[in-house]
Amino acid sequence: MNQFFLHQPHSKELFGFPHILEFAIRKNSTIQLNSLSSITSDCIRIYYVMEGKFEWVIQERHSILYPGDVAVILPGQTFQGENDFLDIGTLFWIHIKVDRVEKNMHLVLGKWSGLSESERLTIGRVLHLSQMPVLVKMKSIQTILQLIQTELFQQQIGYATRVNQLMDELLILIARQSTMQSNLQRDFPQAFVKLEQELRKNLAHQWTVEEMAAMVGLGTTAFTEKVKSYTGFSPLNYLINIRISEAIKLLRKDDVKVTAIALDTGFYSSQHFSTTFKKLTGYTPGEFRKRDSLKD
Amino acid sequence: MECIITIELGTNGVRLFAFDLNGNVINSTKASYPTFHSEPDYSEQDPEQIFITMLYVLKNFLIESIHPQRYKVQSICFIASMHSLLAVDAHGAPLGNVITWADNRGKKEALDLKNSQLGTKLYEATGTPIHPMSPLLKILWLKKNDSHRFEQAYKFLTLKSYILHQLTGDYVIDYSLASATGLLNIHTLKWETQALDYAGITVDRLPELCSVFTTPGKLRKEYQTSLGLSANTRIIIGSSDGCMATLGAGVWGDDKATITIEDSGAVRVVGKQILRDDQKRFFNYLLTENYYISGGPTNSGGVIFDWFANQFGEFKGPFDLEYTIETLIHEASNVVAGSEGLLFLPYLLGERAPLWNPNARGSYFGINIKHERKHFIRATIEGILYEIYSIGKMVEEHRSINSLSVNGSFAAIPFCSQLIADIFNKPVSTINKANSAGLGAFLLTATDMGIYRSLDEAAKSVVFHETFRPRHHDHKIYAQYYQLFERLSLKLEAEFEMIAKLQQIQ
Repeated sequence: MNQFFLHQPHSKELFGFPHILEFAIRKNSTIQLNSLSSITSDCIRIYYVMEGKFEWVIQERHSILYPGDVAVILPGQTFQGENDFLDIGTLFWIHIKVDRVEKNMHLVLGKWSGLSESERLTIGRVLHLSQMPVLVKMKSIQTILQLIQTELFQQQIGYATRVNQLMDELLILIARQSTMQSNLQRDFPQAFVKLEQELRKNLAHQWTVEEMAAMVGLGTTAFTEKVKSYTGFSPLNYLINIRISEAIKLLRKDDVKVTAIALDTGFYSSQHFSTTFKKLTGYTPGEFRKRDSLKD
Repeated sequence: MECIITIELGTNGVRLFAFDLNGNVINSTKASYPTFHSEPDYSEQDPEQIFITMLYVLKNFLIESIHPQRYKVQSICFIASMHSLLAVDAHGAPLGNVITWADNRGKKEALDLKNSQLGTKLYEATGTPIHPMSPLLKILWLKKNDSHRFEQAYKFLTLKSYILHQLTGDYVIDYSLASATGLLNIHTLKWETQALDYAGITVDRLPELCSVFTTPGKLRKEYQTSLGLSANTRIIIGSSDGCMATLGAGVWGDDKATITIEDSGAVRVVGKQILRDDQKRFFNYLLTENYYISGGPTNSGGVIFDWFANQFGEFKGPFDLEYTIETLIHEASNVVAGSEGLLFLPYLLGERAPLWNPNARGSYFGINIKHERKHFIRATIEGILYEIYSIGKMVEEHRSINSLSVNGSFAAIPFCSQLIADIFNKPVSTINKANSAGLGAFLLTATDMGIYRSLDEAAKSVVFHETFRPRHHDHKIYAQYYQLFERLSLKLEAEFEMIAKLQQIQ
């Protein structure tokens, strides 16, 4: 595999792809001191190890990468060589620009990506949560990177679309692999508690079943079935349960307004909140609040 | 037609059964709620989530399975797991989460009390082993480590008291559940002053004591409307899961014991006398004012085998634990009794009875070059059941037991039921209904309604489903290995201490 190095703004192959900051294969045959000191990434960096052994520290976690392994460094994460230098070996990498990062690792990717907003949100969250900067044995990443390389150098009909599609595919594959790796898909109760904690952390968000399923690494059908048999509820009804339990806590604090409670716990409106609350508890939020503050 | 609904607020979720007045199950349903471990020793649940889950399931259950069949709900009887603690303010609003039986934050408090003279006195008076599970020690922990919550607390409740307060507006606790708090004198049926003093509280901060047959108050109007229940539907306070499972297992009489193994496990006997023990190894809880349920609990139940399956089982699809366990059991059945000399100590979660040592740890012993994966599977199951046997043996120092009744998801696996029969060398029966706690609550309610003249008569009505006879050849093998198992579990005490300390540093 020949070495090459494309980068903005100099490489003409990257004209029309301002979101690809760097794209390269590098064969490193000598060690240079301080060649890989600590940096904080401002883009998504994906490294694929083709040859050699690399010892890196990503977000303060020590990792050793072997051929076939992939390192993913997200915006804001720190990255350095274990000994501040780049080890001997061959790397294939791509740096992808993100327009900005909103709260909860919501990666705003720019118009090139065909991923829907909710898919991007899920991918960002999954990568962020998995705490797994290194994905082992992912030969498929090399295949995609090679296809991107071919498209960029040959520039046949439709290559611009193709390159962007391949980049989306890259992100999807990485997100899937990282959920698979972060929970072994054995202990459902454990995976489900992890999910529940995420839901509670951000109850105001309009969670979709797709997003929830992605967090435990299942498709929506399998996820729904599993949640139903484990909890007794469909995923969305389970979510309503959590929303109402949180709402009850807030209702008992006299200083929080019902509308604020509704929105904080993820209901569209205070009307939607009241109807659901009444249906479940037999009280309207107002009646419930009155009931528990009247005593004593 | 009338029916009785039982609601079990268990460790992992809520289970509902509807019985007709002959004791036939009309329908059942369940739903789960999570346990949170925000610190290694903590084990908490969200009281609102449990309440909402229960209400939601109950409502759906009534609308889908009970009202369309024109059943009239005569009574609703409650069952809950033991040892939970929830502090509430003057408005009844929870101060923090429910602390469950599995919470170990009061380790130090337990050790201090256990080694004191007062500890012995309180154990004898309250029947509750001195262990962090005991609400007495949880309250003490709050007083020392979370004084704000302790001061703010208008009442200290169990989860069931909280749920009943939500439904009816009354603060109540039955003698049965109260006898597992470490605060009730099981001989006088009054709150034990010495225990209350030690915890630093007064009687008015506890719910009102009442019999398991009590109807606390009426369902609040709003719930009557929303659930479609009449104002005459009786709410029966009921008892604890352990006591109800014993009643529902039909074990009544001096020569019988019941073995329950779900995630955790227990061996229990019923009697009019408590089991006295100088080493404070037993619990003695009240079922009614006249009957005690005595025995010993273990942490090392089905949860240990689930751990094994999750780590070493082969998974067909993602999260398909049931299939994995079935396969493992099948593999285990292809190994001879005794696992060809491989022994397992199941103390992955520390242990309660009979060791009462939170620092106990698990171990495989006797591994040789011929042992295969399948031996480990069988040894794991045998280890869990030897541990149950060790509690049984302890009980047999006080009562002679001639037969056993088993229940709970792990013990009811036929392979396990047979092993229990073999290890104990006693016949083992299983009951016809899936859930003995629910059945126990039905029997309690039916007795209250006069369908049975007494709990004795009610217990005798339980129909046994299948009996496993002990196989003497296997028993002889188990008896030999059990000796070694017991020696190891006692011999390793110092090493348990050392490894637990090292693990804590990591």
